[in-house]
Amino acid sequence: MVALLRGFYPYAIAILIAFVMYKVMPVGAEKIDLGILQINSFFTKVTGAIGIAIIMAVSLNIVNGYTGQFSLGHAGFMAIGAYTSAWITHYGSIHFFGNANAMEGLFTKGSALFVASLLAAGLVSALFGYLVGLPSLRLRGDYLAIVTLGFGEILRALLNQTQPVLDEFDIEEATRGEIFTGLGGALGFSGVPKYSNLFWVWSVAIITVIICYRLKQSIHGKAFLSIRENEIAAEAMGVPTTHYKVAAFAIAAFFAGVGGALFAHTLGNIVSPNEMNYQRSIDFVIMVVLGGMGSISGSVIAAVALTILPESLREFSEYRMIVYAILLIVFMIVRPDGIFGIREFWEVKWIRRLFRRTPKETHAP
Amino acid sequence: MSVLLDINSISLSFGGLKALSDFNLLMNKGDLQGLIGPNGAGKTTCFNVLTGVYAPQAGEMRLDGKLLNGMCCNQITRAGLARTFQNIRLFGNLTVLDNVLVASRTQIRHTMFGTVLRSMGHLREERALHAEAMTLLEVFDLAHLAHETSRNLPYGSQRRLEIARALATRPKILLLDEPAAGMNPQEKKLLAELILSVREKFHVTILLIEHDMCLVMSICERITVLDHGVTIAQGTPQEIQCDPKVIEAYLGKPMESEAI
Repeated sequence: MVALLRGFYPYAIAILIAFVMYKVMPVGAEKIDLGILQINSFFTKVTGAIGIAIIMAVSLNIVNGYTGQFSLGHAGFMAIGAYTSAWITHYGSIHFFGNANAMEGLFTKGSALFVASLLAAGLVSALFGYLVGLPSLRLRGDYLAIVTLGFGEILRALLNQTQPVLDEFDIEEATRGEIFTGLGGALGFSGVPKYSNLFWVWSVAIITVIICYRLKQSIHGKAFLSIRENEIAAEAMGVPTTHYKVAAFAIAAFFAGVGGALFAHTLGNIVSPNEMNYQRSIDFVIMVVLGGMGSISGSVIAAVALTILPESLREFSEYRMIVYAILLIVFMIVRPDGIFGIREFWEVKWIRRLFRRTPKETHAP
Repeated sequence: MSVLLDINSISLSFGGLKALSDFNLLMNKGDLQGLIGPNGAGKTTCFNVLTGVYAPQAGEMRLDGKLLNGMCCNQITRAGLARTFQNIRLFGNLTVLDNVLVASRTQIRHTMFGTVLRSMGHLREERALHAEAMTLLEVFDLAHLAHETSRNLPYGSQRRLEIARALATRPKILLLDEPAAGMNPQEKKLLAELILSVREKFHVTILLIEHDMCLVMSICERITVLDHGVTIAQGTPQEIQCDPKVIEAYLGKPMESEAI
C-alpha cells in the first residue's frame, strides 16, 4: 500500500499543480495585476507553449540524450499525434455529440473523448516510433539523422495530399474513404475542438518529466545511457541494445504524439502540415543540446528559455532571430556540453558551489 | 570435475587470413587458465568469437552443455560468459556505481512499466542490486569512489572496475583480456592476488590473456599457446616453459650455423 502510494503520489501532485495553474492563469480579457507586471491571457498562451515544449524536449532527450541516437524526426511524431487526435475528436464529436464544438468545463464527455484521443495519439505515434526506430539498429550518427529527417518530410508531403476536413453536414454523404483521409491537406486541419488548456498541458508535461526522471534513475535507464557511452561494452555487459534503442524511439514518440495532440487542441486548428517540418525538429534538438544531452532538468530549462526568448525579443522585430542565434552560438562556445551536461542541475558541481553545499553525495536507491 | 566450457575445433578466417584454426579448449569448473601468444596470434579474436562478436565459421562452443553458436553478444553474456576489454571500455560519463549497475541489469525481472510506476518488484530489485553493487565495489576497493565519474579514475582503478563490472553480470566464466597491461610490478602483484581471490569469492572460472609471463606462470593452472591462429601447445606452466615450439614462437629458430 505504501509502495503503491509512493508510486503514484508524484503523478497526483503533478495533476494538482496543473489544476492550480489552470485556475490561476487568466483567460480571455482577465488580468492579474502584480504592480510591475500585468499578467494577461498572452502569458497563459506562452505558458501553454512552454508546457508543450517541455514535453517535446524531455521526450526527445530519451533518444538523443540518453541513448545517443540522433533523431531529426521529432516534429514528425508530433504531427502524427496532432492529426490522430484531431481526427478522433473532430469526427468523434460529430458522431457522438452531433457537432464539433468543444464543450464548456473541464470534465465533460467531450474531455473524456479528448483524453482518449491523447492516448490514441500517443500509441499511434509510438507505433511509428517503433518502425522508425528499426533502422537505428543498423544505422548510426548522421545516417540515422537522415532517415529520421526523411521520415518527417515524407509524412509532411503525405499530409499535404489529404482531403478537406468534413463538417457535420458534409459527413452525411461522404464515403468512409473520404472521412478517413479528411485531414485538411495543405490547408491544415481546421475545426479541432479546443479542449486543450493549461490543466491538460501541464499535467502531461509534469508527468512526462516524472516518467523520464524515474527511467533515468533506474537500472533500465542506465542501460539506455550505457548504449550512448559505449555500445560494444553495453552489449558485452548483457544489455540487449537493439531492444533498448527501439524502446527509446517508441517511448519518445509516444510523448511527442501526446504533445502534438495537445498542440492541435490548443489553437483549435493545425494551421498547416508545414508547421511541423524539420525546422521544428531542429528546435527541439537545440533544446536538448543546449540543456545538456541526458539532463532532464537541462531540457526543461532550455525548453522554457527558448520558448520565452523569441517572445521577449519581440521588440527587436526582425533582428530577434539574429539575437537568438547569436545567443545560441555564444552558449555553445562557453558550454559545449550544454548547461548541465549529462547530470541534473542539483548534481552539477558549479551549481553546488553556488549554493555552498558540501559536495557530499546523497544518492538514494 | 564437470566440464563448463567446451570449445570444439573453432575456426575463423578474415578473407585469406586464418585468424583461428581448429581451436580447442576445455575448461572445468573453477579452472584458471591462461591464453598466451605473440602479438597477432589470435588471442583477442578468440575472445571475440567466444563472446559472439564474430561468428565462428566452423566448430562448436558449449557452455554448461548449452550451444553458444549463433547467439549475439548480450545473449552470451546472459548465458554466463562475461569479459573485460584490452583497451578499457568503461561507460566514461557514468559513475563507478552506475557502471556496475548497468551490468547487474541481467538479473532484473521487472519491466520498464514497473520502473515508471515504482512497483514492488522495481523497489525490491533496485535495492538488492544497489547493495550488491556496493559490496562488489568494496571487494575491489572502489567503494569510496562509487559516485566518482568513471572517466576520472586512475588507470589501475579503471582496470579493476572493468573486472567488477564483468562480475556484476554474475558470470560462470570470466574472460580477462590483458588485465595487467600498463601496470607496474607492484600493481601486477596485487592484481594476481585479486584474481585468485575473485575466483574463491565468486566461484567463477577464469580464462585470461596476458603478456606478462611472470603473472601467467604464477597463477594459471593450464596454459594454451597460440601462434598465427594455431594452437601450438597446451599444458601446465612447467610444460609450456620447456616446450620447444613455444620457445620458437617467442624467440625464433636457432640459427642454422649454430645447429650444424
